Amino acid sequence: MYVLDRVFEAVLISLNVSVGSTLISLMISLPIGVMIGINSFYGRQFIVACIHALTSIPPVCAGLLVYLFISRTGPLGWTGILYTPIAMIIAQSIIIIPIMISLILKNIEEDFNSYREELISYGANFKNILILLIRNKITLYITIALIGFGRAISEYGAAAIVGGSIDHITRNVTASIALETSKGNLDVAIGLGSILIVISFILSFIINRRKIL
Amino acid sequence: MKNKFNYLLILFLIIANPLHSREFIIVQSTTSTASTGFLDYVGDIFYKESGIEIRAVAVGTGQAIKNAMRGDADLLLVHSKKDEMEFIENGFGIERFDLMYNDFIIVGPKSDPAQIKNLQDLSTILKKILKGNYTFISRDDNSGTHVKELSLWANYNLDPDQYTNYVKTGSGMLSTLNISSEMNGYTLTDRGSWIAFQNKALLDILYENDNLLFNPYGIIALNPDKFPHVEFTKANQFIEWILSKKGKRLIEDFRVSEKQLFYTYK
Repeated sequence: MYVLDRVFEAVLISLNVSVGSTLISLMISLPIGVMIGINSFYGRQFIVACIHALTSIPPVCAGLLVYLFISRTGPLGWTGILYTPIAMIIAQSIIIIPIMISLILKNIEEDFNSYREELISYGANFKNILILLIRNKITLYITIALIGFGRAISEYGAAAIVGGSIDHITRNVTASIALETSKGNLDVAIGLGSILIVISFILSFIINRRKIL
Repeated sequence: MKNKFNYLLILFLIIANPLHSREFIIVQSTTSTASTGFLDYVGDIFYKESGIEIRAVAVGTGQAIKNAMRGDADLLLVHSKKDEMEFIENGFGIERFDLMYNDFIIVGPKSDPAQIKNLQDLSTILKKILKGNYTFISRDDNSGTHVKELSLWANYNLDPDQYTNYVKTGSGMLSTLNISSEMNGYTLTDRGSWIAFQNKALLDILYENDNLLFNPYGIIALNPDKFPHVEFTKANQFIEWILSKKGKRLIEDFRVSEKQLFYTYK
C-alpha cells in the first residue's frame, strides 16, 4: 500500500495548495481586473501591457522572487513561512494572478464596453458593476478559476523552491514525480503523472466547452 | 463587517505565526540522508516520543549550508567536514557532532569499458578514466560528494575541466546516477544513495573499500545568538536523542533493500 499512500498524500497536498492559490488569486484578480477594465486612466495601457507580459512569467522566477522575500534574511523572513504550504500558495498566486487579470480584461473589453455608458448614466459605481458582472458572468469566472487552477496544479519550479519538497508537508504531485523519477521508482511516478494528466484533460475539456478562449 | 473581520483574522494568523514556538524543526540535509528515507524513518520515531516533527529539506551539502547561513533551518545534517568546520568558525553553528559514516564508491557501466574493475589504486583508476576518454559524470553542485570528487582530482594533480569526457550535471545524486546509466559513464557516489537507487540494471560498483573514500556525516544546531528564531532547545533535544545509545541503534538498523546505509562511531 506504500505506492497508494504516497500517491494519495501528494494529490491531497497538490489540491490543498492549488485550490488555495486559485481562490486567493481570484479574490485579488476580480476587483483589480474589473477596476482596470472599466476605468480609463493615465498609464492604463502600460499597466495592461505589463500584466499581459507577466502571464508568461517562468514559475522558477516566481519561486525565486518569493524565496528572496520570505527567506529568514529577506524582508518577510520574520513570518517563518518558508517551506510551508502558505509559501507555495503565494508563489503559485504570483503565477496565476496575471493570467486571471488578463482574461478578465479581455472579456470586459470585448463585452462590457457596449453597455458601459448605460450603466454609468444610471449612476452605477464600481461596487455595483463588480457585483453585476459576477452575477451575470458567473460561469465565465468559474472557467477563469479553472484555467488558473490548471496552471497552478501542473507547475513545478515555484512550489519546489519555496516548498522545499518536504515529505508529508509540501511534497506535491509535481515534486513527487521529479523525486520518484530520480530515485528510479517509476511506478509511483507513472501513477502520479497519470493523475495529473487526467486532471488537466478534464479541466481543458470543461474550459473548451465554454469556448471563452 | 464580517468581511473585515475575516481579513483581520487572516492578518492576525500570519502575524501571530512566528510568535508561537514551533512544534517542528527544519533540517537542511542532503539527498543521501533525506531522499533515501533515513530522516523520515528516524523523524517518525522521534515524533512519537517527543511530539516534535522533523521537516527535512533535501539539497546538496553546499546548498544546505548556504540555506542554513540564511537562517532557513534549525539543524544542519551534511557530509563535508571542512565546510562544516568553516560554518562553525563563522559563528553560524555552535558545535559539530560526529553522527555517522559510510563511504564513497565509484560506479560505472557493467561492461566497464575502461577496465578499472580489477585495479587496486584509486589514482590509476581516475587517470585511466579521464585520460582514456571514458565519460565521467560529475555532480557539479557543491554537494558533499562533489567536494570529495574535486579533492580527489586535486590530490592527483588532474584538471578534469580540460577533458571533453568530463560531464557536469548540476543535479542531485540520484539524477546523476540516472544520467550515468543513460550515458554509459563513471561517477562517484555515496553508498547510501547507491543503495536507495532503484535503476541499477546497467550500472555496477567498480571500486570500493578505500580509506580515502571515507564519508563522515556531521550534525550541527544553528547558533541562536545569530538567528533568534531558531528552535535551539528542540534541535539539541534531537541531537541528544540521535546520539544516544538508542538513536545509534536506530541508525545501525536502518535498511534499504535489506542493506545497511549508515554506521555509527563506537
